[in-house]
Amino acid sequence: MKALEVREVSKMFPGNLANDRISFSVEKGEIFAIVGENGAGKTTLMNIIYGIYTPSAGTIFVNEKEVKIHSVEDAIRLRMGMVHQEFMLIPRFSVTENIVVGDEPRKGIFFDYTRAVREVRELSERVSLTVDAQATTGDLPVGIQQRVEILKVLRRGAEILIFDEPTAVLTPEETADLFVTMRKLQEEGKTILFISHKLKEVMEIADRIAVLRRGKLQGIVNKKDTNEEELARMMVGRNVVLEIPKLDVPVGDVAFACHDLHVKNSRGYEALKGVSFEVRGGEIVGVAGVQGNGQDELVNAMIGFSRPVSGSMELNRKSMHMVTTAQLRKEGMSYITEDRARRGLVMPYTVRDNAIMGQHLNKPFSRGLRMDYEKVAEFAEGKVKEYDIRPGDIYDTAGSLSGGNQQKLILARELSLPHNFLIASQPTRGLDVGATEFVYGKLLEEKKAGKAILLISLELSEILGLSDRILVMFDGHIVGETTPDKTTEEALGLLMLGVGIDRKVQS
Amino acid sequence: MNITQINVTIAQMLDYTTPILFAALCGVLSENSGVVNIGLDGIMRFGAFFGLLGAYFSHSPWVGLLLGIAVGCAVGALHAFITIRWNGDQTVSGVAVNVIALGLMTYLLEYIFSTTGYSPQLENYFGAQAYRVHLPFLAKIPLLGALSNLSVMIWLAFILTIVLHVLLYHTVLGLRMRTCGENPKAATTLGINVFRVRWFAVIAGAALAGIGGVALSTSSFSGFSDSMPNGIGFIGLAAMIFGKWTPFGAMGAALLFGTGQIVQSIIAVTGIAPNLAPGLTLILPYVLTLAVLAGFVGRSVAPAADGLPYYKEQR
Ligand SMILES: Nc1ncnc2c1ncn2[C@@H]1O[C@H](COP(=O)(O)OP(=O)(O)OP(=O)(O)O)[C@@H](O)[C@H]1O
Ligand SMILES: [Mg+2]
Repeated sequence: MKALEVREVSKMFPGNLANDRISFSVEKGEIFAIVGENGAGKTTLMNIIYGIYTPSAGTIFVNEKEVKIHSVEDAIRLRMGMVHQEFMLIPRFSVTENIVVGDEPRKGIFFDYTRAVREVRELSERVSLTVDAQATTGDLPVGIQQRVEILKVLRRGAEILIFDEPTAVLTPEETADLFVTMRKLQEEGKTILFISHKLKEVMEIADRIAVLRRGKLQGIVNKKDTNEEELARMMVGRNVVLEIPKLDVPVGDVAFACHDLHVKNSRGYEALKGVSFEVRGGEIVGVAGVQGNGQDELVNAMIGFSRPVSGSMELNRKSMHMVTTAQLRKEGMSYITEDRARRGLVMPYTVRDNAIMGQHLNKPFSRGLRMDYEKVAEFAEGKVKEYDIRPGDIYDTAGSLSGGNQQKLILARELSLPHNFLIASQPTRGLDVGATEFVYGKLLEEKKAGKAILLISLELSEILGLSDRILVMFDGHIVGETTPDKTTEEALGLLMLGVGIDRKVQS
Repeated sequence: MNITQINVTIAQMLDYTTPILFAALCGVLSENSGVVNIGLDGIMRFGAFFGLLGAYFSHSPWVGLLLGIAVGCAVGALHAFITIRWNGDQTVSGVAVNVIALGLMTYLLEYIFSTTGYSPQLENYFGAQAYRVHLPFLAKIPLLGALSNLSVMIWLAFILTIVLHVLLYHTVLGLRMRTCGENPKAATTLGINVFRVRWFAVIAGAALAGIGGVALSTSSFSGFSDSMPNGIGFIGLAAMIFGKWTPFGAMGAALLFGTGQIVQSIIAVTGIAPNLAPGLTLILPYVLTLAVLAGFVGRSVAPAADGLPYYKEQR
């Protein structure tokens, strides 16, 4: 039986046809993947099915009956659930509140918080997505917030589940756990729509795969009859090379160094327990580690968001003690963040304004008290072309871009700021294969230009492919240092989990 | 200062606190769902006038209270219609409500009672002995004695504070309201009807502001004066911010502002600083308000989506 079918569905945004007569059907109990470039229209299509957007044309069938989905309430009534690409969480709420709101355990009109906490704990144990049910959601690293999002949907027990890039910020282990859960759901007869840019994952979990390109359905293939290369070609329209060439660049001067750095997290717990390393010009230093082992705190201290408890940091051999973020930027630090919404962009502002933020006081964009918007627009136009930010109108708000295009915008801005030290925190989060290839190219270009780069990523293939040296973080310590030719994904994975660590290595 | 004097002073302080507290509660309810209502000062004015009107013609303040609530709801519905249905600017709509209230009540006062400045005085009002809550067993206890003979409106304000706390933090509806105030898009994805929740919160909040107005004209005073509510709505907003958008916080702030209002009588009764100009003590609550707004009490964070219009297809 067909659990879900869309026929000739289109969605028109002002000046932008995001979905163009898309038709497909999904069998009950099937895992159906949807892939496509950034901005291809995947999220839009899912939002239509889930009742958030009203389609401009087309019909939807659930269990082979035509349905009108005017609102999310309708979708929920039809037993659908969706994990959204952008977090739909309230930072101030506890994890439990976020998971149960909208479908609360109650006693009469009262909200039964105790039972809610219990339910959340049970669920999280059952599907092995560990969360602290009582923690304040906003304090958690993005990977854990992602788990909260997934738990939210699993708890509601829907028949048709939509996962819009749930794995973008998960570690390989977490992804594996999620896949186990998805398989279990499949066995229970649930239907799953799954979106990811990681073609390896898609090949692992999906039964059939639909490829979208610029709003149109390119085709639907059986997993058995295809491979990653073919999918990438269908998506992008050309061959994609994700092989990263080895590049030997003479190592330059120390750009960043820290010594015995201790940093507390927002809850006052010491999350970085004495870390020392340096990054030199012309070298990419990768930081591997499971989320929540001190990476966030390290970055926060480096960019001047939090003050270390003790220890020292130097940028270009100048002490960073009591220095503001603005001064650090002036001194040559750039920062690509994985938290697009809260740190990377001002969503209601235009692409143009976001593109020059941080340089807005410099010439030629500012002339004394006056902004030279012609120069700003010219600059932004250039960046939009260079980085292929779609749809390409610099007067669109950053918020209206697809996730991957938002990421490209951040990249465009940070790499165009004058800098010699780059912190790249999950720079390819949510990017399609073509864009990932592009980012790798850009990072290597940076390296060739003699810039120092600290790369923090959950993607071990990325760490292994790009880094000259790899630091492994575990529980607030750097528990190992290695080079890509001396290690493997498996060995790194074990080290990241703290297996077999010789405590003496910890400095 | 003897016990009776202390009791009288405390009772007076509670009397001043009451309308401020109602205003603050209106703000707390409305803004936790994401709608700013600076029109609550105007809604209080509506409530004060119509409360008097009902009480005057029916000879019962209860009728005044019902009329005040009804009119409060109606004006709240107007604000909701403009800001929720049509995504109008919440500040502009609130200012409009205030301006309308200012002119319309002055006009109605003249038109209905043929007087300017003050309405006729009420005989049956909540402040009158017959309408007070008598708790004689408290009378002899120091401090608590102040509570032995209070207007029912004062009790109502504090009871509603507790009710609101329970509503916001212990009911399903409260959790959903706060979700709408923090992230309406997330609320939508959970199947919560943001528009319905906001309509409810704005109208229920406006009812509270209406009651606050009734408390002014039929409890604190026994009639309507053209200067009502004298900026109390705005002080209420300050109390809401001071109280970090929570009912109990707002109550604490309202009590502080209420105390500010009676400094003058404390000075008179105790005889300290007899030469202090009366004008100076009168501005004390406003100075407090400014200090609060200037961030004197530390950061106070509004609900994340407070004051922002919401379109369903926005990104
Ligand atoms: N609410 C909106 N208003 C205006 N334009 C929108 C809106 N939502 C999406 N778009 C546009 O529709 C197109 C498709 O976006 P969509 O988010 O569906 O892409 P996607 O395939 O999910 O991309 P990604 O992989 O980056 O998440 C984009 O060009 C985007 O700018
Ligand atoms: Mg998307």
